[in-house]
Amino acid sequence: MKTPELVVSAIPHVHSGNSIQKIMTNILIALLPAIVIGVYFFGIDTIRVIVIAMASAVAWEAILQKIMARRIVINNLSGAVSGLILAMLLPPTAPWWMICTGTFVMILLGKEIYGGLGNNPFNGVLIAWVVLQMSFPDCMINWMAPPGEFFTEAPPLEVLKFEGLNSISEYFTNGGLLMGQSSGFIGEVSTLMLFVGGAYLIARKVISWHIPVSFFAGIILFSGIFWLVNPAEYASPLFHLLAGGAFLAAFFLATDMSSSPVTPAGMLIYGILCGVLTVVIRLWGQWVDGAYYAVFLISILTPLLDKIKSKVYGR
Amino acid sequence: MKSATFPGGLGLPAVDAGVTQAFESCPSSQKVIIPLKQHTGNPCDAAVKKGAEVKIGDLLGENTDEDAASVHATISGKVIEVIKKFPDMYGGYSPAIVIESDGKNETGEFSLGLSGSSDSLSLIQEAGIVDLDVEPIPLYKKLSFAKEKSVNTLIVNGVDVELQLSSRASLLSEYAQEVASGIEIIKEILGVATVYIGINENAPKSVSAVTSVCSSAHVVALKAKHPQNIKELLIKAILGKEVPSSKSPEEIGVTVISAETVFFVARAINEKKPLLERFITITGSSIKSSRNVLVKIGTPIMDVLEYCGVSSIGTGKVIIGGPLMGIAIHSTNMPVTKETTGVYIQQEGDVVEFSSGVCIKCGLCVQVCPMRLMPHLISGFSESGEYAMAEQTDIFSCIECGCCAYVCPVLIPLVQWIKFGKSEIRAQRSSE
Repeated sequence: MKTPELVVSAIPHVHSGNSIQKIMTNILIALLPAIVIGVYFFGIDTIRVIVIAMASAVAWEAILQKIMARRIVINNLSGAVSGLILAMLLPPTAPWWMICTGTFVMILLGKEIYGGLGNNPFNGVLIAWVVLQMSFPDCMINWMAPPGEFFTEAPPLEVLKFEGLNSISEYFTNGGLLMGQSSGFIGEVSTLMLFVGGAYLIARKVISWHIPVSFFAGIILFSGIFWLVNPAEYASPLFHLLAGGAFLAAFFLATDMSSSPVTPAGMLIYGILCGVLTVVIRLWGQWVDGAYYAVFLISILTPLLDKIKSKVYGR
Repeated sequence: MKSATFPGGLGLPAVDAGVTQAFESCPSSQKVIIPLKQHTGNPCDAAVKKGAEVKIGDLLGENTDEDAASVHATISGKVIEVIKKFPDMYGGYSPAIVIESDGKNETGEFSLGLSGSSDSLSLIQEAGIVDLDVEPIPLYKKLSFAKEKSVNTLIVNGVDVELQLSSRASLLSEYAQEVASGIEIIKEILGVATVYIGINENAPKSVSAVTSVCSSAHVVALKAKHPQNIKELLIKAILGKEVPSSKSPEEIGVTVISAETVFFVARAINEKKPLLERFITITGSSIKSSRNVLVKIGTPIMDVLEYCGVSSIGTGKVIIGGPLMGIAIHSTNMPVTKETTGVYIQQEGDVVEFSSGVCIKCGLCVQVCPMRLMPHLISGFSESGEYAMAEQTDIFSCIECGCCAYVCPVLIPLVQWIKFGKSEIRAQRSSE
């Protein structure tokens, strides 16, 4: 054998093959069941929203990266995933110009202005969503009811807020909420499908269980206190879990990598705070659903929560 | 029963090196290069001159202090050169003795114990035994220190250096008797009562072989996980204790000695044989069948690879140790030494380039870190020269196991940055 020319470099010499693209592909796969339900209940118009959102997000990303003289990395799929998640947070009737405004804000203020993926202090999707909520409130509540015999076009939490607890049991069943038989944003209605997607992400180790589990624990504990004290006035923890955006927020928004803590203790506190704030906003806030606002606000605490380090071995 | 383990780490798919029953002996080379420093410490003094005739087992270098370990001739022949500066795999160098074989393979009179002192500890010193693990120190020094700290627990490390290597597990299943005898010897030297042997659970043959002969020791099956071999984590898994940082295991009453070392201790005491060879695994990303071989110290790695049928590597890597923690060497002319824990070959196409993207704060490195550090932060601080912050985030607790960089989705060479940070901090301190 000839003396070979060898490569010398630092450890490690092997890699798991993990990449942003793989992570994003897994998230796309995980979102698929909820999307299918959205399209099934709200019709072909949802596909329009999703396509516009994903395409415009990727386009904005390419344009902004070009303008900012960065390497164009749209093939890591993070723009596409953000676009899809934003689409899931819109009503099926969302007009194209609103979607494009949303994706622009999302990519600019949620990502590129901070230096790209990983440096954003907030979840870009939620920045865009909050901007749209404030700017185009009418478009954001232009609901569409799923097909079938329905008493209301309003989403469950709106019914709870404006018509009270009795109408809830009249209009909705737990099974229906699980499957997505209520109006709402495209991607939030089917709790079951979101759970399937979330479980997939945990199984593939894309996200860890800490944030979703503690998020749910926060909702259950806090809403449970009021429900135990006065079940006639307050909705049950189960209703708070199944209605609105709790599952979408817990599995896909609160787990946003750059705006959530990384240590187990930090993640648990973050999740619980998100859950509690969700219920606080739902019970006393002016907004109907607190889940998205809760994640948005609690992510302010992330740098602080990241200071809670695990006890280092031998220290 | 649940296998003992530590939190974090990687459950890598272990490449089956097929815990072989018999080690194949790699034939003697025409020429061997024997460095006078094959451990962490000082080189020993050359005891032979150019032109001297030596037989197997003859002393080549004598230890002058306890930081040195003597070396012996592993083939018979003529000393053709005494190199003053021969490179080692860490980037340093030491003197080395080159012997050309006379083809006779004559064994000399082993002189162990003839110098008068016959207690086990000085025999170990004469035999040139080092603790055959990553960055070994002379065993004499290690045992003396353990004695001084009056340790009460001995842990025999039967876990291979990395999951892809299997020489240690094979040694345990084939030579359980010798290992048991070595344990008794070390027990007597140290005066310890409690002995544990940690073995990976994926080597059931080794577990049962050792269980049947070592009646006085507790055999602990450990979950096959990287980096279980590291002594701090072995102690965590077996005893549930943590070694306080900046302290050695001996200071909490525990000493960890590798199974291979224990084997050679038995040989040195029972057969009066010095340390002349090593059991190593030859494996790699595209090697068809891994081999466990018994190689004479000083044999050029090229000869070992040729014996194992490795024909071409291309511009690949030859790694001493495993793929996560091993050291890539620059030349296959380097010899097998007491520091060679195994050889991992990476063909040209399998070499990974850590292209270093921007951290996306995914937290995977935090999840896998067995020391519960925040690797992404420490690496970032080192990269940006914030050494005070790096120290505050416990950079010196890092054991450089490679888990963080292995899982990083944007391929940041985290360990490289952390090592860089450590060396910069040390340099700053020494200049102060």
